[in-house]
Amino acid sequence: MVFILGVNFPERNLVAKSLQGFFGVGGLTSARLLSRFHIHPTCKVGELANKQVLDLTAALSDMKIENDLRRQVLDDIKRLKETGTYRGRRHALGLPARGQRTRTQIKTAVKQNRIERRL
Amino acid sequence: MVSSFCWSCLTRLRQTPRTVLPSPTAVPRGPAFHTSAVRFFPNPMMRKKPGQELGGPKYRQSKSARMKKKKPVDGKARPPPVGERKALRKRIVLSNPNALEVEGMQELTEETMVDSRLRGNVLALPVPMLDQLRAVQAFKPKQGWSIFRRPGTVLRRETLEMGRLFDNISGVGEDKGTAVKKIITGSRKSGKSVHLLQAMAMAFTKKWVVFTVPEAQDLVSATTGYGPLSDENPNLYVQNEATASLLSRTLIANKTILSKLQVSRIHPALSAVQPGMTLENLAKFGVQDPASSWAVFQALWAELTATSATTGLEKNFTPRPPILVTVDGLAHWMRNSEYRTTEFEPIHAHDLVFVRHFLSLLKPGKDESTLPNGGALLYATSTSNNPSIYSFEVALKQVAARHAGVDPSAPEFPKLDPYSNPDSRVLEAFISTKPTSAQEGMLEVQTIGGVSRDEARGFMEYFARSGLLRETVNDEWVGEKWTLAGGGVIGELERLGRRLRVAAA
Repeated sequence: MVFILGVNFPERNLVAKSLQGFFGVGGLTSARLLSRFHIHPTCKVGELANKQVLDLTAALSDMKIENDLRRQVLDDIKRLKETGTYRGRRHALGLPARGQRTRTQIKTAVKQNRIERRL
Repeated sequence: MVSSFCWSCLTRLRQTPRTVLPSPTAVPRGPAFHTSAVRFFPNPMMRKKPGQELGGPKYRQSKSARMKKKKPVDGKARPPPVGERKALRKRIVLSNPNALEVEGMQELTEETMVDSRLRGNVLALPVPMLDQLRAVQAFKPKQGWSIFRRPGTVLRRETLEMGRLFDNISGVGEDKGTAVKKIITGSRKSGKSVHLLQAMAMAFTKKWVVFTVPEAQDLVSATTGYGPLSDENPNLYVQNEATASLLSRTLIANKTILSKLQVSRIHPALSAVQPGMTLENLAKFGVQDPASSWAVFQALWAELTATSATTGLEKNFTPRPPILVTVDGLAHWMRNSEYRTTEFEPIHAHDLVFVRHFLSLLKPGKDESTLPNGGALLYATSTSNNPSIYSFEVALKQVAARHAGVDPSAPEFPKLDPYSNPDSRVLEAFISTKPTSAQEGMLEVQTIGGVSRDEARGFMEYFARSGLLRETVNDEWVGEKWTLAGGGVIGELERLGRRLRVAAA
């Protein structure tokens, strides 16, 4: 087991996939991180050198990921609501915010655009 | 109209149910927009009989027949252990105990490999050599070694020519110590990889040192570790694991030769290497410590290409044997690799020092031959796993033209399409001027085609004598199969031989 940014990853997992476990790190960000520290895409967590683990942790701790990013997204939505924009209203009403039709198929918006929005 | 509530305090807005549902009533009824009577609801007051189906589907239920969902298979089926499936996929079977032993089958030896009377015969690979050939990964999983009693290859015209060439390089004549450089191309299944295998087998019989890259793609597909070579060369990349595995292949296959040679130079990059140590131990050093594998490889290469010892270390020097280098699937080295720089730019395959080293051998050496002790470079292309690279195709044509003596400024010299966006590094890698050393051959392209009818006959007779083919092998029959195999393409001949086995059974 290897700790990356305080999270324990099994050694047999791919590094690229493990990094994507962090909220805010997707395919591209993880690929860029890997290339930054000369880690090949099929590298397993167990194959990482100690220095590479430390480098990754340092790089991840500089990035806005996990709770910081969640807070930022929630703050953005809150700001939209408070300034009374159309998008803010749609968020508040639990309706799609990006111009989708609302006759059918708005389950996702109903589920997500709550007052107490969760991420 | 003024809105009934203030938009700015939306945060305090309570979420209300979006549609006001009608109060539930005791009598079942359909939604308001249905005008037809509710037919399918059973009376809730009636007791449901066990096993009795409802009258029909409910509203908005699919009316098509429902398939029962398959239950997940019980029991914890664990996947096979790590590496087992790959091992099965890459397994190489070299013997089929059900096949007949071919009587009078000759082995590949120093005499038989140059004996033109044996042309068309299938020569068995000597059993002690099989381990060496396995070590350098000369056998490929999809080749048909597993249908015969013991592995063997046809002595075809190209093989005999190569045998003579190797004989001359190892011999005492004027060709001693020459370096031959060939790029081997040819149509699909024409036997390019087996040609490399024959070259390795001959090199082992002649006691050469053999370096192989069995799959060029493995170096560029970003499946092994990489890192910058040094701080001075941030744009060159070293692949330590791949180099260590090259060293280990070389070490296992050439153990007897390397154990007799000693380090005769000072290697400042490797403090642990002392003069007088055997080259076997030197290579082991790189296998055990992948971080230093590239330095070890360079040291090993310098030792093997040395023609004399440095002053003071002459007692450690014995003449070095010729070297055979084979690479299979060359085209993969002619484009960007899957590796990325720190800026996320793709790394060109020529920026990997491993690839760069083997490609630089194609160029003539500055002062002396690139292989001063002689040897051969055989780089084969592949047709089954082959990226199409326009610059490489043109470069090969140019190499052929240059070897034929066409002047590069002449109009018949193959030119690039100006709109093709060529890769100049690829073209540049194959520009080889006339070698300065007389010992060094010019780079040439060898195209392998079909075997002749006589060779096809010998090959088919081998099938018959192995008990795989129950036909009378005569000229007419062989001619038919030769034509069916696209003019004696040996892989197709083999397929025909196999297929007939099934038909006859």
